[in-house]
Amino acid sequence: MAQPLVKKDDDRDDEAEYSPFLGIEKGAVLQEARVFNDPQLDPRRCSQVITKLLYLLNQGETFTKVEATEVFFAVTKLFQSRDIGLRRMVYLMIKELSPSADEVIIVTSSLMKDMNSKTDMYRANAIRVLCRITDGTLLTQIERYLKQAIVDKNPVVASAALVSGIHLLQTNPEIVKRWSNEVQEAVQSRAALVQFHALGLLHQIRQNDRLAVSKLVTSLTRGTVRSPLAQCLLIRYTSQVIRESATSTQTGDRPFYDFLEGCLRHKAEMVIFEAARAITELNGMNKDESFEEILKIRKTKFGPSMPNIKA
Amino acid sequence: MARDLCPSVKNILLLDSEGKRVAVKYYSDDWPTNSSKLAFEKSVFTKTLKSNARVEAEISMFENNIVIYKFVQDLHFFVTGGEEENELILATVLQGFFDAVALLLRSNVDKREALENLDLILLCLDEIVDGGIILETDASIIAGKVATHSMDADAPLSEQTITQAWATAREHLTRTLLS
Repeated sequence: MAQPLVKKDDDRDDEAEYSPFLGIEKGAVLQEARVFNDPQLDPRRCSQVITKLLYLLNQGETFTKVEATEVFFAVTKLFQSRDIGLRRMVYLMIKELSPSADEVIIVTSSLMKDMNSKTDMYRANAIRVLCRITDGTLLTQIERYLKQAIVDKNPVVASAALVSGIHLLQTNPEIVKRWSNEVQEAVQSRAALVQFHALGLLHQIRQNDRLAVSKLVTSLTRGTVRSPLAQCLLIRYTSQVIRESATSTQTGDRPFYDFLEGCLRHKAEMVIFEAARAITELNGMNKDESFEEILKIRKTKFGPSMPNIKA
Repeated sequence: MARDLCPSVKNILLLDSEGKRVAVKYYSDDWPTNSSKLAFEKSVFTKTLKSNARVEAEISMFENNIVIYKFVQDLHFFVTGGEEENELILATVLQGFFDAVALLLRSNVDKREALENLDLILLCLDEIVDGGIILETDASIIAGKVATHSMDADAPLSEQTITQAWATAREHLTRTLLS
């Protein structure tokens, strides 16, 4: 086998197995994490150690309960640094460690401070971290901040709160349902993905109320949909309404069918595909027939920019 | 039940040319143990190895999941969704991830560069999908949210320079991909 050419650049080993994490070992990195306790924090160094810890976890390494607790407590010290980059890594680390309820208390006030920070990236991410690690009690404490965040001007903040709401609806539905008004307002947002996230959350909040869902769909099919993703959601909800409609007369459902057919002329491919699928499924085609039908529609509509389908 | 109507990503995988992990993120309970994850990764990697996913993204089905994938240099990008998912939505997620990584690594998209900048890759993943729900698909916005962490919050001018740098990087990347 031929030797690889020696690279001229001295910094580059021509070692095929080169990796900045070569020889990395959990125990050694956990030792390194002690720098988090230094009164004079070096943000770059700390970020590097966190990256190593995340690398280990990503590779399938596990922490014992004791190790996880130690790392968590050490990481909480890093809130003292105002370095933005380090704070982002701290957020990632906290989410990976999944702290227990009594550990969560340690970081709650720091995270709540970040949630009200002037720096929007802190706010959005602190919201996501808090909502990931919260329980019902903490959630009621931060509820009003989340409701404000949902209608925040900054779309990153709003989306963070809305997506967190979608997750929290699974565990604390009675709390999230109280945010209906704010979520309704967010559906009117001009920011593309805020509407998408708000629509997703609002639909789930109202899912048991067929009439409410039907009204939601009707108002939006007449309104402005600001992203292909939101349009896809709307197509799914429209199909659901058609399927579940009590009268199931053609006339009653006509506007909904019209909407679906109109989507076949949308400029975004994902919308056309979603609509084609919805229509074929509503026509009672089974999955294979539906697939054939969609292939036909795709062939006529799309060119080589479509991903190739491999069976 | 309504949860299923929201487009959902099951995992995003960044593997090297031997199928080993560079960065992976799972958002589903379908693979509860690390060994089940590794088995899935091996299966997906092996079955897609011979494909021509360097020019454009390709799609395949595995174990009742849709997998969209794209390769560049020694990196293999994968996005997985359920079999009922809209594959074009998954393709958009893949493209967003792929292009954002290209922007962040300034078009040096290879394994070494990715590992040297693993923090950026992990932050990038964090800004694309949250618990399976799509947060953002636009690569420049994704990269922007990641890069702000290395910027001084009081220096708006640097934002301008970075935007320009990205525009150049993106142009270069487009040219490379089209050649």
